[in-house]
Amino acid sequence: MENYIIRNATESDVSFLSELIIEAEKSNTDKLSFSTLLHLTETETKNLIISILKEDIDCCEFSISSFLVAEINGEAIAGFAAWIESFENEKPSSFLKANLISFTLNKLFHNHKVNLFQKSDLIKDLIIQRDPLALQFEYLYVSEKHRGKQLSSKLIKTIEEKYKLIYPNFKKAQVQVFANNIGAINIYKKNGFEIVKSYKSNNIETINYVPFNEKFLMEKNYTDDKRTN
Amino acid sequence: MTREQIKLAITNIIVSILKHDNFEVNDETTASDIEGWNSLTHMMIINEIEVNFKVTFKLKELNKLNCIGDLISLVQLKLEKS
Repeated sequence: MENYIIRNATESDVSFLSELIIEAEKSNTDKLSFSTLLHLTETETKNLIISILKEDIDCCEFSISSFLVAEINGEAIAGFAAWIESFENEKPSSFLKANLISFTLNKLFHNHKVNLFQKSDLIKDLIIQRDPLALQFEYLYVSEKHRGKQLSSKLIKTIEEKYKLIYPNFKKAQVQVFANNIGAINIYKKNGFEIVKSYKSNNIETINYVPFNEKFLMEKNYTDDKRTN
Repeated sequence: MTREQIKLAITNIIVSILKHDNFEVNDETTASDIEGWNSLTHMMIINEIEVNFKVTFKLKELNKLNCIGDLISLVQLKLEKS
């Protein structure tokens, strides 16, 4: 087994995290929703995400504090975000994320005009509400060269151990995954997750903007024994 | 601009973006009380309010908002300062 080190992300990882987020958002397709919905190039998206991460807001998928990073020989090669939704009465992560994008987009691209009116109908059926106090997983990514080495499972277990200390009473973990991302679905199934619900957009245009027109909500329930196996 | 006028303008913005008026707006109303107010429409509503009132919100101001009453108060404050 290679010598991977798994650690908490820091601000020095923001460039890697932005690349990770972009690759995870694409979900093995060429569709980057930041580009298709917000009319940003991939470079602009990277700069937007870096700027968002540096705002240092906790408890959402754009929090440096949410991320674990795996590295080998000092190079980050994998990462995963997790947080407890609405922990300690924090706002829903979806609104923290929306505020971050809205504010940072305005800050970086003053005259950037985004018409979300038409596009909101295309993706509204894919927006999934997260359950308060459930452990949320997001943005799992392992660089290609390092796949097939159980790193995803190790990241999941490390996160579970971490959050057992932070919030011992969490009962459930949730993850959202596009239905065509078979690799990710299998990883989560291998780690005790089950598909509990499907969210589908019947608008044929949806697939032009996001990786797929269907998302699964997967969940894992925890007893005291299951929090760390 | 009076608080009532701000409230009416914000209500109209919400109606135009969510394409319905099946809700009551009072100071305690929250996003979860209004059907269709999700993260994407939230961005659209906030953006439209900024454009309409010619104000800019700071991130910490946005993250402190708990209800429509907070939003109205924030717009009122911004307009008084400008």
